[in-house]
Amino acid sequence: MINIQDIRDTARDMLAKGEARMVIGYRRGTRGMLAEPAFITDPAQADDLVWDPTCFNNLSLYLVHDKKFLAHMRENPKGPVAVVAKGCDARSIVVLLQEHYFKREDVYILGVSCEGAGVVDERKLAPLLNGERPSAAAFDGDDFVFTTAAGEKRLAAREVMADRCLECRAPYPKEHNLVFGEDKTGRQLEAPFAALERFEAQDAGQRWDAWSQHFDRCMRCFACRSVCPMCYCDECVVDSITFPVTAGTTAEEKATRIKWIERSATRSENITYLMTRAMHLAGRCTDCGECERACPVNVPIRMLNNKMEREAREKFGFEPGASIGGPSLVATFLDSDPGQFIR
Amino acid sequence: MSKKRTGVFVCHCGTNIAATVDVARVAKEMADENTVAFTQEYVYMCSEPGQESVVQAIKDNKLDSVVVTCCSPNLHEKTFRDNAKRAGINNFTCEIANIREQCSWVHADKAKGTEKAIKISRSIVRRVNRNNPLEAIAVPVTKRAMVIGGGIAGIQAALDIANAGIEVILVEKQATIGGRMLQLSETFPTLDCSQCVLSPKMVEVNRHPNIRLMTYSEVQEVGGSVGNFRVKVLKKPTFVDPDKCKICDHCTAVCPQVVPNEYELNLNARRAIYIPYAQAIPASFTLDIDACLGLNPVVCGKCKDVCEAGAIDYDMQPQTVTEDVGAIVVATGFDLYGQENMYEMGGGKVEDVLDGLQFERLISASGATHGHILRPSDHKEPKDVVFIQCVGSRDPAKHCAYCSKICCMYTAKHARLYKKHVPDGRAYVFYIDIRSGGKGYEEFVQRTMEDDDTLYLRGRVSKLYRKGEKIKVMGTDTLTGQNVEIDADMVVLALAMVPSQGTVDIAKTLKIGRDKDGFLAEAHPKLRPVESVTGGIYLAGAAQAPKDIPETVAQAGAAAAKVIALLSQATLNRSPLIAKVRPSHCTGCGMCVEACPFIAIRLENGKAIVNEALCEGCGSCSATCLRAAIDVKNVTQLQIHEMIEACLA
Repeated sequence: MINIQDIRDTARDMLAKGEARMVIGYRRGTRGMLAEPAFITDPAQADDLVWDPTCFNNLSLYLVHDKKFLAHMRENPKGPVAVVAKGCDARSIVVLLQEHYFKREDVYILGVSCEGAGVVDERKLAPLLNGERPSAAAFDGDDFVFTTAAGEKRLAAREVMADRCLECRAPYPKEHNLVFGEDKTGRQLEAPFAALERFEAQDAGQRWDAWSQHFDRCMRCFACRSVCPMCYCDECVVDSITFPVTAGTTAEEKATRIKWIERSATRSENITYLMTRAMHLAGRCTDCGECERACPVNVPIRMLNNKMEREAREKFGFEPGASIGGPSLVATFLDSDPGQFIR
Repeated sequence: MSKKRTGVFVCHCGTNIAATVDVARVAKEMADENTVAFTQEYVYMCSEPGQESVVQAIKDNKLDSVVVTCCSPNLHEKTFRDNAKRAGINNFTCEIANIREQCSWVHADKAKGTEKAIKISRSIVRRVNRNNPLEAIAVPVTKRAMVIGGGIAGIQAALDIANAGIEVILVEKQATIGGRMLQLSETFPTLDCSQCVLSPKMVEVNRHPNIRLMTYSEVQEVGGSVGNFRVKVLKKPTFVDPDKCKICDHCTAVCPQVVPNEYELNLNARRAIYIPYAQAIPASFTLDIDACLGLNPVVCGKCKDVCEAGAIDYDMQPQTVTEDVGAIVVATGFDLYGQENMYEMGGGKVEDVLDGLQFERLISASGATHGHILRPSDHKEPKDVVFIQCVGSRDPAKHCAYCSKICCMYTAKHARLYKKHVPDGRAYVFYIDIRSGGKGYEEFVQRTMEDDDTLYLRGRVSKLYRKGEKIKVMGTDTLTGQNVEIDADMVVLALAMVPSQGTVDIAKTLKIGRDKDGFLAEAHPKLRPVESVTGGIYLAGAAQAPKDIPETVAQAGAAAAKVIALLSQATLNRSPLIAKVRPSHCTGCGMCVEACPFIAIRLENGKAIVNEALCEGCGSCSATCLRAAIDVKNVTQLQIHEMIEACLA
């Protein structure tokens, strides 16, 4: 069980001693029970930090934002950014490090172990609270405790936990500078890829019907891309509105930009977007599940990424974000790879 | 960008294309493309008049780019690019649309075939619209060659190259050159002594002023490309100075360590310090560090004490040397398919079941038994010997699908030699069929059957096992339809030829492809049989496919001729179709660096940089890059996008 005061004390110390120029963590939000990202530079604000089942956000995203912002401002401040990272978030940081997005010494990982739990899925929780809106959530052993106007409501964590947490194989941030909580790697609340396999149990017709509805519903708001730390490209190859125009952009470049996808949010264009994104995340997605949570129209985006992840795991024994020096999925060829055509 | 004036030349290829594709319609459709200024169809575009008409059309119509819709670019891309150049335009504005291999040959329906040919041609016309004129990159050539593998293939290639006045480095993994051929007794169909034929060549290699021999050495790393390779070779220590060694043999007499002799295929034993054969080149002893008690005079040191020449040096260290060469010949040879894989033949666990190479050593005068055929278990002369062909070969279900080619011949030779040594013995041969194509080969097999009274049984052996003194061989004679049981004293398996471990390893080191059976892949099965898929790397001998000695020697000569032709040029033209980075899009993730098989990309200040001298334009980087930040020239993302559009339209 993590004592939040330990995290607060660490954050305060680091800021006071100048060991970090910023601490990125979670604080109480303004919308009901939900925690929100906190960017703390003043040691006095360290006590705002919280740790509860609503700390969904993959805060490694803000390391990407920070880097982009500093590049834009042409600033180069000293000292690392300390970031609170769950198992999946820490793996995202590892992938970013593998891709040389920043240096290891630029980030100080305050690892938090999810231990036997994970984060709550609001969509699972809502029907169990009979329409009441909770104002706070807390870990308590195997349960989550929610505070509502009607009093405290205790629910088994497994009933309201996000699928990604139930299926999580490594709820412990292996890569860290400091870690809070116990290593419960190997806990198996549900089999890996269980949600995917439940879906795949349907026949091809049913699956196509389901996906057709999902792809029709997508409005390409790009929320999935916006919350994803791996979607850090300045120019998204499938989105012509992100094409940057700089002083160095030539007229010919502007004239010959490739539009792989039309702007209209139709099924065919949405399929191309979501599929391309899944391909580009293969071997990089660490299953933080933020894309699916952020989707306003409930497209099960995580399932697409999960499918790629399972493929990579079965065919190549690949675990994304396993170690900083580890191989990249798509750029590495081994003699033991299946398929002899590439030898 | 002003509008292109493209010429489209549609080839009938006799009826190869015209039978399945309406070529006239293809030409007509292409004429409707707004960048196409000229179209023409012709029965054989690659013929002399065909080529001339292309050149003339370019000049007459002021064309600036050319699309030839014909066969694979593998065949005629160079032909037509040269023509474009002759006509005075840049050769890289000429592209091939493949409507033969990728269309007419694989389709039967003419209407559909024509539609597809139109789409293929149109996509190439669109691609050519955005082709940039490029100039070949001239690079100097290192006038030195390396031959990897010192068997007959490597020896022949090295001699042929060296005789042309080019310096050759011959690298051999083992302590002596000679390879498999040195292990053979006599060779078919003339039955001349293998070592007698080979050793003069080995001596010549050793004395040749243009050949530098590196035995007991292994290639570790290869960089660079055609004309300019940089090879790292590890020289393992032999702990014996070959210049001082007098081959007096005193050291082996005192060495207390006995290990199986791999040069005799474990039929006898050798000491930790040994010479592989009397004919070994270099003529020197080698101290096997794995078998030695430990190079420590306190522990043993007997060999050093007894060596009057002072040739033994325990302090010899492994050395890595770097050599620059312009071309490489790979002649790393074969191994036999392991007996342990042949469960039905006892899986290598039944005594007196030998493989073909062991039998060679058994009948060789220099072998373990000094040429007397004695079976290993009890040193008795075997009176009933069963030879089994196609063991592991021609068995796609369980073993190797291919024919190992030499087994019919060497089995006949074995049977003959056996009958010569043991006139009252009985030789049986199980075979599927006899493949004896080659000069004097069929006659040789016939003589074995008729003059030497060898019993040839057409069928396979299902099982063999030890029963007392004998080996029970259960087989079928499919000509009489009867099951056959033979109580044999010895069984010889003609095991399939497989690429040697050295071949497998070198393919990885050199990054040259292997075929489905694991042999080194040639660039074209008919027209470029001695070239690997990588420029400047050539193939010789059984590393490329099973073959006998005359074929190996011929291929080695051919590879040498290719090397000589390559290295006689002052500079080489490298293709300018190489990768190019768009720095604005590169995030420096380094995936291309990892994906590049030619180590041609590096990161500098957070951006990828392509080394033009190393890039082969394979496009692995482009396929890997998530951000479309790296393209191959004239195969850009934009071109691919427009080609896809042309196909889908």
